[in-house]
Amino acid sequence: MFAPADVLQHATPDVLANHLPPELLSKVLAASLAAGSMTPERVLDTVTPELLAQHLPHDVLWQCIAAAAARAGVTNTPGKP
Amino acid sequence: MNVKGFLAAALGSAIELGIGTADDVLRHVTPDVLAAHLPRPLWARLLTACLGAPKVDAQLVVETVGIANLCEHVPAATMWSCLADIAVRALGKPGEQPAAVPTPIAESKSAPAAKGSTRVPLAPAPPPAEAPRRPTPPPPSPAAQGPAIPAPVEQHAADDSRPPPGQRFRQAATGIGRGLGANQVRRPQAQAAPAPAAAAAAAAATTAPRTPGRRGQTEAETETETSVETGDWRGKEIAVDDSQLVDWSSDNTESRDEDFGDFSRKR
Repeated sequence: MFAPADVLQHATPDVLANHLPPELLSKVLAASLAAGSMTPERVLDTVTPELLAQHLPHDVLWQCIAAAAARAGVTNTPGKP
Repeated sequence: MNVKGFLAAALGSAIELGIGTADDVLRHVTPDVLAAHLPRPLWARLLTACLGAPKVDAQLVVETVGIANLCEHVPAATMWSCLADIAVRALGKPGEQPAAVPTPIAESKSAPAAKGSTRVPLAPAPPPAEAPRRPTPPPPSPAAQGPAIPAPVEQHAADDSRPPPGQRFRQAATGIGRGLGANQVRRPQAQAAPAPAAAAAAAAATTAPRTPGRRGQTEAETETETSVETGDWRGKEIAVDDSQLVDWSSDNTESRDEDFGDFSRKR
């Protein structure tokens, strides 16, 4: 339904930097330096959905889910698939 | 320039000149150090740069954050260790200390010495100074310092003609010493030994008649009405009553001799 890049469109670097604890930031940077690049997949490999749900604001995560659902056509409007 | 400014200038110049690299910086400024000291806005900038860059390396991190920000937020000891490593590598082999640098300074780097740590002096201590000489007191002389005062016992033994000191002074006339025990034995007084010339003059004075020129020159030689030195009184008649006469045949003569017998000797 959505890719890691869709998550980082809502969980921006500013949001991550302001809400993730220092040890998670350190792990993200260390993993990126070790791999030679920082991709959304690598970020989500370190900062798992559980950690995202634990540290990031829920409205940010909810916007991410709602946007994915809207792309997938999952709506609560009656009469529409 | 403060320490942070110096570190920023030194590291910036080292990286610009190629003496040091960003890897040298990130060898000490690890992600853990950055996560602990870097402010969140700088972290946001760093994450943005890393996500948008095709390659993430130390140079990207250093260029994104900046040497000035690193020196501002990262502890100075960490940044100094970066600079020290770069300097050591530039001046010699890694781990080799230049000969010109004293060993204690190279070992201590920039970290302040811990309290209680042994500090190595830069220069050998000078030889201990010679102990200050104290003037040794001279050995005590056998005789006491000061005027030679003969013992009173010896003096009395040598001069048998002199009366004892207790009989030389009139005691009943003055009353001095009544409450102090007049009957007590007086302390012996020092007797100055007369010079030979003075002793001879004193002996001559006792035998020769008194002359008016015996006084000192500074004393006034004034002639008064009662002066008997001139002899003018011989031709004058003075009326004297019998009550004014003094009987010199009594024992006053003896007391006079006792009181003033040694007058010339005292002088």
